[in-house]
Amino acid sequence: MARYLFGRLAGIVIVFWIVSVVIFLLMHAIPGGPYNEDKVPLTAEAKANYLRKYGLDRPLVEQYLLYMGNVLRGDFGVPFQSPTESVAGLIARTWPVSASLGLAALLVALPAGLLLGILAAARQNSWVDYLASATATLGLTVPNFVVAVWLVLLLAVQLKWLPTGGWGEWYHYIMPVTALALAPLALTARYTRTSILEVVRSDYVRTARSKGLSDRQILLRHTLRNAMIPLLTILAPQIPNLITGTIFIESIFRVPGLGKFFVSSILGRDYPMIMALLLLVAVLWSLVYLITDLLYTLVDPRVRLEGKKS
Amino acid sequence: MSWSKLPSRTQRTALLLLVLVAALLLQACAPAATAPDDGQEAAVPAGPVVNTLGKELPADAAPLDQQVLVYPYNGWRTFTTIDFFQAVYERADSLTDLLSDALVRLDKDFQVNPGAATEWSVDESGLVWTFKLDPNLMWNDGTPVTADDYVATFRYGADPEHAWDFSWYYQGVIRNWTQAVAGEVPVEEIGVRAVDAQTLEFTTEAPAPFLPAMLVYSATFQKAALEAHGGLYNSNPETSVSAGPYQLVEWTKDQRLVYAINPDYKGTNVPYIERIVVVNIGQPSQLMPAYEANEIDFVNGGGTLSPADLEIIGADPDLNAQYHPHYGDFRTYYFAFDTSQPPFDNLLVRQAFAHVLDRETILANVVKRQGMAAYSFLMPGFPAANSSAHQETYAFNVEGAQQLLAEAGYPNGEGFPKLTLKLRAEGPTPLAVAQAYAAALKESLGIEVEVNNMDFKAFMDELNAKPTGVQFTLISYGMDYLDPSNMLGVFLSGGRHPWSNAEYDSLVRDASSFTGDPAERVQMFQEAETILVNDAAFVFAYHQTPGDLIKPYLKGPALEPDANGVAAWHWPGFSSFSNLLSGVYISNEVSNYRQAPD
Repeated sequence: MARYLFGRLAGIVIVFWIVSVVIFLLMHAIPGGPYNEDKVPLTAEAKANYLRKYGLDRPLVEQYLLYMGNVLRGDFGVPFQSPTESVAGLIARTWPVSASLGLAALLVALPAGLLLGILAAARQNSWVDYLASATATLGLTVPNFVVAVWLVLLLAVQLKWLPTGGWGEWYHYIMPVTALALAPLALTARYTRTSILEVVRSDYVRTARSKGLSDRQILLRHTLRNAMIPLLTILAPQIPNLITGTIFIESIFRVPGLGKFFVSSILGRDYPMIMALLLLVAVLWSLVYLITDLLYTLVDPRVRLEGKKS
Repeated sequence: MSWSKLPSRTQRTALLLLVLVAALLLQACAPAATAPDDGQEAAVPAGPVVNTLGKELPADAAPLDQQVLVYPYNGWRTFTTIDFFQAVYERADSLTDLLSDALVRLDKDFQVNPGAATEWSVDESGLVWTFKLDPNLMWNDGTPVTADDYVATFRYGADPEHAWDFSWYYQGVIRNWTQAVAGEVPVEEIGVRAVDAQTLEFTTEAPAPFLPAMLVYSATFQKAALEAHGGLYNSNPETSVSAGPYQLVEWTKDQRLVYAINPDYKGTNVPYIERIVVVNIGQPSQLMPAYEANEIDFVNGGGTLSPADLEIIGADPDLNAQYHPHYGDFRTYYFAFDTSQPPFDNLLVRQAFAHVLDRETILANVVKRQGMAAYSFLMPGFPAANSSAHQETYAFNVEGAQQLLAEAGYPNGEGFPKLTLKLRAEGPTPLAVAQAYAAALKESLGIEVEVNNMDFKAFMDELNAKPTGVQFTLISYGMDYLDPSNMLGVFLSGGRHPWSNAEYDSLVRDASSFTGDPAERVQMFQEAETILVNDAAFVFAYHQTPGDLIKPYLKGPALEPDANGVAAWHWPGFSSFSNLLSGVYISNEVSNYRQAPD
C-alpha cells in the first residue's frame, strides 16, 4: 500500500510539472497582455515599461524557470489584478469561501440524493419513484444559474425573505447552496436508484434473502454497499468542481469566492493567477482520483490496488 | 422494523439527515434579512439639520443616518485601486477618486469650474499655465495640500517604472512627458513644477487652450504617502490619507467599499451625503433585482442594462419615471474599415457601405432609447458638433450603394471578399446593431459578413497590430474632456485606425493649439470633421445615450435639468471630478424604501 501510494504521489508531481509547462506556454500564446490600451494604442516605450514592470520582457524560458523556482520556495507571485496581496494570500482569502459553499452543497446533495434514490428504488414505479425521477431530471437539465435567477426573483424580489446576495451571514448560504446542490442531488438520486435496482436482482441478494435477512438489512449491508461503486465513480469528480467555486453562482449571489478568478484571470491576462489556479485544479483532481481509488478498496473488497499479489 | 433495531451507525446517519432537513426547513422559514432599524425613533429635530461638515440639509432631507448612498460597482474583476493616477483601467468602475480634489471639476453642463485650483492663467506664449491652489486644503493627517503633491503625482504618472496605463493622455501635451515615459529624460524634467507651495505651473509642448478641461483628471496623491507606501497606499484604510470630501473606512475585497465624509475636508466640493457604501454586484443581470429589492440606490445604465431590462423598465410606470437617459461620455459607435488594404482602400466601396446603413430602422428596432442616430462623430451637445450638416452626406440609399459598388468593380457583390466584422467584447445592443448591418450588406449588396464578438484583449491586440488585423469593425469612443481636440484626436495618423489624411491631421492639430477666436477654432474642427465624414473611412452609426436608474429619493440641484433640459446623473459621476458630488442628497421619501444601511 505504501509503495502504491508513493507511486501515485510521484505521478502527481509529474502531472504538476507537465501541466505547468503546458499552461505556461498556452497562456503566453493568447494574444494581448496585462496592459490596457482600450482607447489608443500604447507607444512602444509605454508598452515596454509595462512589460518590464512585470518581468514579461524576458525570454519565456527564463520567465518559466524563475516562476517555478519561486513556486518551489512557496512563492506563487503577486496577482496583477490585486497587487496588494499575494497569489497565495488571495487564494487563502477566497478559496475557503468557495469550499464552504461547495461542502454545504455536498452535505445537502448527498444524503438527500441517496434518500431520494433509495425511496425511488424501494417503491419502483410508484408515485414516489415518479416524483423522485422528475425532481432528478429537473435538477440535471436546468442549469444552476437559471435556478439561481429564479431563486433571486422569488425569494428576494417577490417575497423579500432574503437579500438578493451578499456574504457573511448564515442566510447568505441558502440560495447559493440550493442552486449548487440541485445537480449533484439529482445525479446521486438517479445513480442510487439505478444501481440499487441492478443489485437487487443479483444472486447474492437472493442468497441473503433466502438466509432470512430482513429487507432493511439486505438494503444496508448488501445492496447499498455494492450500489455505491458506480456512485463513487460519478460523484467523486463533482467534488473538485464544487469546492473550487463557480463563477455563475458566486457572481449572481455576490459570494466573494474563488470562482470568478478562473475567468477574470484569463480575461485580464493575469499570468500568476492563471498558473496558480490551474495548478491547484490539477493537483486537486489528481488527489480526488487517488482518494476515489482508495475508497474502491473499502466498498469493494475485490479491488486490490497493488494487484498480482493473490 | 423499529428504529431501535437499526445499527447505531445507521441511526446516526438517519438522525443527521433528519437534522439537516429540519435545518433546511428552518432556514427557508427564517425571516428576511433586514437592516437593523436603529434610528427609527430619532426625534425630528427642530430647525435646519446640518451634516458633519456643517452643510445645511434641505427641508425634505432624510435624517443624517439615512444620508447614505448605496452604489453598485461591477465586481466582475477584483479592482486594484481607487486612484486615477495609479491605474485608470484597474479602478472600480464607479465611486473612485474621492480622496483629493482635482484641479478643476465639471458641472452638469460639462463646464470647467474651479476645484483644488481657485484660478488659472496662461502667459502670452500660450505655453505656460499658472494654477493657484486653494490655500485651505488640508490632508486629514494635518499637513497642508501643496503644489508639491501635484508635482509628485504627475511625475509618478510619467514614471517608466510605474508604467501608468493612461500615460498616453498627457503625451504631446505636457512638455517632456513623452520623453519621460520613454525613459529619455528624468521625470523631474516634465513640464509640471511647483513655483511655491500654492502655485503650480504647467508647460505644454504647443499651445493647449484645452488644458484646464483636460486637468479634470488631476486628483492628487499625497507626496509623503506616495513616497512612504507607494501608489497603492489608498488600497488600505490604515495607510490611506485624504484631502477630499470623503475618507476610506472599509475595503473588504470583492465585497464592499465604505467611505465616510471627511470631517477635516477644507475644500469647496462639500457633500450632503454622509456615507457611501459601494457594493459589488458581480453580474450586470443582478443589478435590476438588487435595485428592485431596494438594496442599491442607483444602476449605471451604460452598457449594463440589457434590452430585456429596458423592456421591463418601459412597461412599468414607476421604473420608467426612475430611468434617466443622458449623454454619458458623448460616446459614438462607428463602423471602421482598414483603408490601407483592398477592398476598403477604394472610396467607392466605402461610400457604398455608408449608403446601406439604415439608421432609422436600427435606432427604432435595436438601439431604441439607448441612442440617437449619428451622421458624424461629434454628438449633438458636444462643442463643435455639426450633426445636421452631415445628415444627407450618406443617406440610406440602397440603389445608389449598388451603383457605387458596381462602379468599384463588384457588381452585385460579385468577387467581393467575405468579411469578418469584429467587435471587442460588446454587449447585446452593439452586437445586434452589427448583426443588422451585416444582414443589410448581404441583402442589399450581396456581401457575406460574419460577425465575430471577440475577447477584449485579443481584439485590441489585433486592432493595434501593424498592419492592423482588424479589417472591419464596429467600435466606440467616448470623451475624456469636453473639447473637440480630444474626440477628433482619435483619428489622427498613427492613432487607433490605419486611416491617414494629412489635411485632417493638420486641421485638427492647428485647431487644437489655436488660441484665437473660439468661433474660428470651432470652424476648423468642423472642417476636419467634414473630411472625416466625406472620406467614409468611418460610418457613424449612433451616439449612445445611456440611461441610469435613480431612486426617487435621490434629489438635489445636480439632478435638476441641465441647460438642455436633461435631468440625470451626469458624467463623470460622483467623484471629485464633478460637482455632482456636492449636489445630491437623500430625501425623506427614502423611508418608504429602505432603512438606514449598516
